[in-house]
Amino acid sequence: MKADVAVVGSGLAALIATRSLQKAGRKPLLIWPGLSSLYFVYATVDVLGYSDATSHQPVERPGTAVAALIADHPDHPYARAGLDALRDGVALLMEWLEEAGFRWQGSLDHNLLLPTAIGTPKPSCLYPQSMAAGDLGRDEPIVLCGVEGYEDFVPELAASNLSRSWGRGDQSVRAIRVSLPGFEPGKMFTSIDLARSLENEAFRGEVVEQIRDKAAPHSDHVRVGVPAVLGLTHDTDVYQRFQSELGHPVFEIPTLPPSVLGLRLFDRLRKHLQETGVEIIWAAQAHAAELSDGRCRRIHLKSAGREQPIEAGAYVLALEDMVDGALRAGVHAVVDPFFHQSLAHHVVPTERTDESLFKPQPFASIGYGVTDRLQPAAGDGNPLARNVFLAGGAIAGYDPVGTKSRGGLAIATGYRAAKEAMAA
Amino acid sequence: MPDTTTGVVVIGGGSTGAGALRDLSLRGIDAVLLEKGDLASGTTGRSHGLLHSGGRYCVNDPAAAIECVEEGRILRRIAKTTIEDTGGYFVSVSEEDLAWEPRFVEGCAKAGITCERISVEEARRREPALSQHVRTVFWIPEDGHLDPFYLVMGNVESARRRGAQVRTYTEVTGFLKTDNRVTGVLTRDAITGEETSIGCQAVINATGAWAGFVARLLDVEVKVVPVKGVMVVLSHRVAHATINRCHKPGDGDIIVPALSVAILGTTSARVPHPEVLPIEWDEVRQMIEEGALMADGVSTARAMRAYAGVRPLYDLGAEAEGREMSRNFAVIDHEERDGIAGFASIVGGKVTTYRLMAERVTDLVAQRLGVRTPSTTADVPLNDHEEEMDQLRHRPAQLGVPKPHGDELGLQPLICECELVRPQDVAPWFKDPAVRTLEDIRRRTRSGMGPCQSAICSYRLAGRLVTERGLDGATATRAMADFLETRWRGVRHVFWGSQLRQAQVTAGLHLELFNLDRQLMFQSQAPSDALLPPPLPGEGRGGGEEAHAPQVASKR
Repeated sequence: MKADVAVVGSGLAALIATRSLQKAGRKPLLIWPGLSSLYFVYATVDVLGYSDATSHQPVERPGTAVAALIADHPDHPYARAGLDALRDGVALLMEWLEEAGFRWQGSLDHNLLLPTAIGTPKPSCLYPQSMAAGDLGRDEPIVLCGVEGYEDFVPELAASNLSRSWGRGDQSVRAIRVSLPGFEPGKMFTSIDLARSLENEAFRGEVVEQIRDKAAPHSDHVRVGVPAVLGLTHDTDVYQRFQSELGHPVFEIPTLPPSVLGLRLFDRLRKHLQETGVEIIWAAQAHAAELSDGRCRRIHLKSAGREQPIEAGAYVLALEDMVDGALRAGVHAVVDPFFHQSLAHHVVPTERTDESLFKPQPFASIGYGVTDRLQPAAGDGNPLARNVFLAGGAIAGYDPVGTKSRGGLAIATGYRAAKEAMAA
Repeated sequence: MPDTTTGVVVIGGGSTGAGALRDLSLRGIDAVLLEKGDLASGTTGRSHGLLHSGGRYCVNDPAAAIECVEEGRILRRIAKTTIEDTGGYFVSVSEEDLAWEPRFVEGCAKAGITCERISVEEARRREPALSQHVRTVFWIPEDGHLDPFYLVMGNVESARRRGAQVRTYTEVTGFLKTDNRVTGVLTRDAITGEETSIGCQAVINATGAWAGFVARLLDVEVKVVPVKGVMVVLSHRVAHATINRCHKPGDGDIIVPALSVAILGTTSARVPHPEVLPIEWDEVRQMIEEGALMADGVSTARAMRAYAGVRPLYDLGAEAEGREMSRNFAVIDHEERDGIAGFASIVGGKVTTYRLMAERVTDLVAQRLGVRTPSTTADVPLNDHEEEMDQLRHRPAQLGVPKPHGDELGLQPLICECELVRPQDVAPWFKDPAVRTLEDIRRRTRSGMGPCQSAICSYRLAGRLVTERGLDGATATRAMADFLETRWRGVRHVFWGSQLRQAQVTAGLHLELFNLDRQLMFQSQAPSDALLPPPLPGEGRGGGEEAHAPQVASKR
C-alpha cells in the first residue's frame, strides 16, 4: 500500500498531525492502532499547568509560561517543537473542534482552575463549554451532584476537599445525590450508560427535577457540578437543554474511566477525519522501518494476523506513549519497535520508577532522541531517517504528568512533525 | 486498676493468634486479641498460600510432614471455603531431582501422604502447563491453596461471635506484673498514640517472628530466627494445580495457583529484623527462572508484583540455618522455663499447622486457668454462621463458584473489576473498628489485588471512607494515596511489558486526571487538623467489640 504521508498513532498528536496534513491539501493515511489507553486523561487539553513537577503554584498564562520554559530548557520537547507550533496547533484544533460540532473554550492566554473528581483545582487551558462553569475563579456556591449506585464520581469526597481548598464559607460547597430511574443500586452501570440515557428527554426531565429540588433549598445562586455524563454523541444539545431546564449553571467533572469526555473527543475527531476523506487503517500495529539511503522506504503493519508493508513519502510516528506501543520495555532494555535502537538499559527494573508514585518517573522520559526537525536521531545526532518525524510521548524527555502538559505537548509536536513531513 | 479486664490476652493477629483467640472463645474463655498492625499483615498474609500435604517436608522434617498431613485433613473439614483443593504435582527436572525421588517416595509413605507416580504424558494431559524440562511426575492430591487472609478473618469472626474482642493497630508496650505473675498488658494505639491497660489472667505470645521482642518486655529470651522469603505474583493462575520441584527444598521451587493469580516462591535468607525485608532483583529473577523450569507460561506471564514475608523459625539451639531448621513448632511455658507465671509463647510452625499450634498453646493456658473444656477447633467449622458463609462463599474468582455477574439478576456493580469485588463485599468492613486503612479492606476482600493494583478501586474505596465512615475528604484522599503507594512499592520490582504500561495508566489517572499530586502538596501545607473519627458505635461486626473501641478522635 502506498501513501503520501503515513501518520501512526491514536492520540491527540496523531490526530493533530493528520488534520494539519489534510488542511494543507495533502493526503495523509492514518494508521490507527486502537483507542489509546490514555484517552481518559483528555477531559481538558492541558498545555502547562505547573512550571515544573514540584511547583504547587498553578500557571496562569500557559502561552507565556511555555515561552519561558523553552528559553530555560532548549532540549525540552516544547523547545524542539517551537512556540509557533503550539500556537498554530491550538488554533487548528479549536477551529477543527468547531467544525466537528464541539463547543470548546479557552486560549493560551489563560488557565482556568477546574475541579477534579477528588475536588482538587486543576489548571486547564482548553476545555469543553460543558466544564466552563466549574471555573474556581468565580464565586457562586457549588453543589456537586452524584448518582446513587454510581461509584465513579463521589460528590461527598470531592465536596469535602474542594471546600477546604476553595470554599467560601460554610455552605459554599455541598454534595447531593439523585436516584435515577432504572439505575438502582445493585445494578451495574457505567458512565456510558448514564450518558446514553441522558440523551432521552423524559429521563433527563426526571433527573433535572430531582436536582432542582435538592440543589438550592437555601440559595438560588448555585452552580451544579455533575459527573461528565451529559450525553455521548449529542452532548452539546444535551448540555444546553439540561442547563436551561435546570435553571442553574451546570458543569461536568471528568470521572473514572470509561471517560465520556475522552470518548466524545477522540471518537468524533476520528470520525470527522474519516467523513472528510482521510483514509484510516483500523486497529493495526505498525513497526519495523525499512531504511535505505537515509530514508525510510516502508514500515510494516501487523493487521488481521498478517504483515502488510506501507510505503509513504514521509512518516509521522505519533504514538502517544509506552501504553500505545511507542516503546517496548523488556526486563532490562527499552527498545524502539521501528529502528530497533536500544533507548535505555536498566540493570534492575526498579531503576525505571521512583519509590513514590507521586514523583516524576524515570521511565516517562525515556524516548527517541530527535533532531531539531523532530527526526529520530542516531547517537551522533544525525537523523536515522530523513523522512520520519516524531510526535507525542515517544520523544525523549517528554513527561507531561507532573507539569500537566499532555495536550499541549501533543499538539505542538504533532503539528510540527506534520509540517516537517510536508517538506520532506 | 487496668482500664479493662479480660481472661486471656492474645498478642499477634496472624493465623496462630487468630486460631488461639477462636480456641479460647470455643472453650468459653474471655479473650482479647491485640495486633500492632492489621490482621494477617505479618507472616500469614505474606505467606505463599500453599496448603502443605507434607510432601515438601517428608524427607528432611518428618515430624512437620506428619502434622501437615493431619492438619490439612482437618482444615478441609473446618475451613472449606478458605481452601482450593487443587492437588499438586511434584516434578523432577534434573539428575539431582531424580536421585531425590526414592527418598521422597519413602518419606511420603512414612508420613502417610498419598503420592502417585504418573507418566509425563498423562501429567501433561492433565496439566498442559508442565514444561518440557519435566522428566518425572508425582501426583499429590492433598496439596492445595490456603487463602491466608480468609483463614485469619474466618477465625477472628468466629471468635468475635462468641464474645472475643479484637484490637488492631494496638501495640503491646509493656506488662502488668504482680510478683512473678503477669496480670495484664499495656498498649498503645499505633495511629492515635492512645495508651491503655488491660488486666488479664494470662497472655499468649503468638507474634511469630516478633516473639523475641514481646518476650524481652518481660526480660525473658525467645530465640526466633527471622528468615525472609521473596515471592512473585503472576496475573493469572498459570497451572491448575500446585507444582513443587521434587528435590531437597530450595529456592523458587513452588508454584501455587491462588484464586485469580499464581504465586512463585520462595527464597530463604536470614534477616536482622523481621521488618527488614528488602526485595532484590536477583531474587525476583530467580523466582521467574526457577518457576519457568517447571511450568510453561511463567516467563511470559504478566508479573504483577513481588513481596517478601518472614518465616518465624524457632531456634532450638542447633547449628541449623534457614531451610535446615525444622518447620516444627514449640510451646514455651514461661512459668516452668523462666519462673514467670501467666505467660506462654508459641513459636515456629507454619500456616498449614496454625490450628494445632493454637490448640497446644491454648491447652497450656486453659490448664493453668483451671478450665477443663477441651479444644473443639478440629471439629467445629469456621463458618458455622450463615452470614459469614455467604461472605466467604461469594469469592467469585474461587473455583467452582458462580461469578456474581451474569446471573439472571443482570450485571451487578463491582468495586474492583480485577478481582470481582462487589459493593456488598466491602461495605461491612467500613463499619469494622479493626479496619483502619484501605490495605485492611484489601486483605479482607482482595480489592486492589488484581493487575491494575488498585488504580481504579482506590478512588471508589476512598469515596466510601467519606460516605460510609464519615471521614473528611483530606483523610480519605490520604488513605487513597497511601493505598496506591503501598501497591506501587510491590509493583516496582516487575515494571516491564504490560505492567509498565499499567504504571503509565495509573499515573495518568491519578496525577493527571485527578491532580492527586497537587492535592497531597496542598494537604501537607494546610494545617494538619484532619481527624480520624471513631468508627460508628453499634454498627461494628462481631460482638462486644464496639463498647471497647477507642472513642477518641485523635491526630493521625
